[in-house]
Amino acid sequence: MTIASLILENKWILELIYAFVICAICMVIVFITDKFYRLSLHQGIRYFRNAFLFYGIAFVGRYLFGLFSDISFGYAFVAQIFFEFFLVMAGFFLFYSLVWKKFEQKKTYYFTSLVNSKIILFELIALIIAILDTSWRTYYLMFFSQILVFFCASIIAFYNYRTKDNKKHKFLKFYLLAMILEFVAWVLNYLAAAYFHWRHLVLVDIGLINSIFFISILCGVIKITKK
Amino acid sequence: MTAKKRERLDVIKDILQTIKDNRQIKPTRLLYASNLSPQMFKGYVQELMEKKFIKLDIDGKEGKEKKSFSLTPKGQSFLQEYKVIENFIENFGL
Repeated sequence: MTIASLILENKWILELIYAFVICAICMVIVFITDKFYRLSLHQGIRYFRNAFLFYGIAFVGRYLFGLFSDISFGYAFVAQIFFEFFLVMAGFFLFYSLVWKKFEQKKTYYFTSLVNSKIILFELIALIIAILDTSWRTYYLMFFSQILVFFCASIIAFYNYRTKDNKKHKFLKFYLLAMILEFVAWVLNYLAAAYFHWRHLVLVDIGLINSIFFISILCGVIKITKK
Repeated sequence: MTAKKRERLDVIKDILQTIKDNRQIKPTRLLYASNLSPQMFKGYVQELMEKKFIKLDIDGKEGKEKKSFSLTPKGQSFLQEYKVIENFIENFGL
């Protein structure tokens, strides 16, 4: 039995484990960062926390909706909109956590970070992307938006790495690598859809890269916040 | 060459540290120690009281009240976590 056939035969269980692991990682990150946000009320931490909350919801949603995906067309339609909206928003939140200082006054405090004058714009874009993609039965708008988001995030992470004290703050380097990894994962996602007809081994590679991204962020969060 | 402008989090830490060092401190002394304009100082103190990091103690009779700030357990906790929070923000470029 080859690895490829083993993966194909256990596709459902692998997807279940993958979704569960990513959700668990996201929830740990949200739990830790929420504690620090409540203490500091720092907007950057708030948006960073929201990013992983939305990643977690997206993966929970994908798994839950996936369990009953064959029921009807309408159901699958809603499921894809739900999954894409939260995934795209998570990427936007992660990107915005790096640039929020340019757009918000430091003393600005929003009662909620989920619906405020800045975030509502991202939510509208995410909703339009999710609806159009689902209507056209593709994922391309999501792929393009996330490729752009992580390309910009990689540049900002590189700028932070070069301009901040990277000897004192060692995770800057790993955060830059994590952003590049996620950028690569989204490019591969696009290639898998456009040129490889969703070949399973390519998808496994993407899943592995994604897992490395989430695990490295989790390790960074735990290491840095450890007393 | 001018000194680097303090970040909001640094100002909060400085105010809390001053109160901690003094256990209790009068508003005027805290204003001088904080190195802020009276208007900014008022804003920060108001915020810290809303967050329940500090409390205003009023002792003495009416007309001869003595006001002083002291740290709450939540404020103590913030000071302990401050380094971790600062490190987190810097490492993730937030």
